Amino acid sequence: MRAPRLPDLERFPELHARWNRRTFIRSAAAGTALVALGGALYRLAGDDLTRQARAETRADGRRRLPPGQRVIRALRDMGGREGPGDARSFRLRVHGAVRTPFELDYAELLRLPQLEQAADVHCVTGWSVLGSVWKGVAVALLAEKAGVRAEARHVIFEAAHGYTTNVALAEATAPAAMVAYRMNGRPFPIQHGAPVRGLVPDLYFWKSAKWLTGIRFVVKDEPGYWEVRGYHNHADPWAEERYG
Amino acid sequence: MTAATPEPPTAVVGEGLKRRWRPWLRAIHRDVGYLAVGLTIIYAVSGLAINHLDDWDPNFTTYPRERAIAPIAADAPDDAAVEQARAALGLGPPRSTYRAGDELHLEYDDRKLVIYGDTGLVVEQGREARFFLRVANWLHYNRGKKAWTYIADAYAVLLLYLAVSGLFMIKGKKGLRWRGAALLALGAAVPIAYVVWSGGPAAEQRATREASERAAREAGERARPSPPPPATP
Repeated sequence: MRAPRLPDLERFPELHARWNRRTFIRSAAAGTALVALGGALYRLAGDDLTRQARAETRADGRRRLPPGQRVIRALRDMGGREGPGDARSFRLRVHGAVRTPFELDYAELLRLPQLEQAADVHCVTGWSVLGSVWKGVAVALLAEKAGVRAEARHVIFEAAHGYTTNVALAEATAPAAMVAYRMNGRPFPIQHGAPVRGLVPDLYFWKSAKWLTGIRFVVKDEPGYWEVRGYHNHADPWAEERYG
Repeated sequence: MTAATPEPPTAVVGEGLKRRWRPWLRAIHRDVGYLAVGLTIIYAVSGLAINHLDDWDPNFTTYPRERAIAPIAADAPDDAAVEQARAALGLGPPRSTYRAGDELHLEYDDRKLVIYGDTGLVVEQGREARFFLRVANWLHYNRGKKAWTYIADAYAVLLLYLAVSGLFMIKGKKGLRWRGAALLALGAAVPIAYVVWSGGPAAEQRATREASERAAREAGERARPSPPPPATP
């Protein structure tokens, strides 16, 4: 008569001695702790940029790095439904509460007076990219060209597939806000809004709409895609206005 | 001494079956498990990949690549500029071209090149299919249809067998009576608890309806004509 088969660990005592459950759990816990510690050390050691930025102050007296932000080297792909991405089909409609609504194609945009400046951007998810050089056309210039009516108070940045985001007129036409088509001398990759995106650097980055299609001046505020989904209507990074 | 009464053959068969069904179950479970490994890896890996669509593109990697060619004269005709760039880069005819300012855009199916004529800098942005994942996701989505529908159905049946047979593979305190029952209850509790906590599909439907009603209401308010100005005295 055949002896009943024993589980592997009981048939091989040397294996049992090495790998009983307690040893396994202990090893797993130690391994996890080691990996976590290594990850934390790696992150701390590699975060010189953040430390350095925290020590800096902007010309307006605010700290260069808003609270709760960490500096990374390049824009992170945050998803979104991409627009067509090609310069040939690009059109920018400037309309709403203006005297002379108009539409620009890509070549016409490039023919307008250009603005090139370094700017920091801050994503609501906690990363910041500092000091990139952005090139484009100031929103203030487009506003002036369109003749914004005195009663307009807000700007709605319109983008592919109906995405919108709202910015107060004063902030959208601030000197740093622009319709950008180059970053660090390169065109935007499709995932970062090619060919043209908005840039409102002093607000969280979702206010800088990718795949821009229009700029609409409005009298009454119209919360945009993320704003109606629980994100803050204003989005000041220094006040940590992340969620409404 | 009395002769033992022989048991009826059916009882012997029944007893044998009672004793032997578990090894059979295990043996089939093992072989079905081997059979299912390939598809399980495909479905599990691609499931992880497409579950995080918001965070990444599970099918393609995008890449930037830079090169330099001789500058292109600003007054060169468009066709000549395209030919010069193509010759310098060894490229075939593009799907479309576009020239604006100092930029020359060449569009191909899987990549786009922007050439800055004044400096000769070429910025190429393209996308390449991810190894394995592109195919795994294609299978997972059953984009090809046809025979894959039957294969996927058969695989689902095999998985059901693995799940059910797994319950009865061993007996005793590590079987379904003790540890097995506890873990089974825990596993079943996870989706139940999630549905209870989230409100399930009904809550999602309600939220969508409320959002669209709110949007319609707001659109109506925006579209409502403003009252006529008061008559001048």
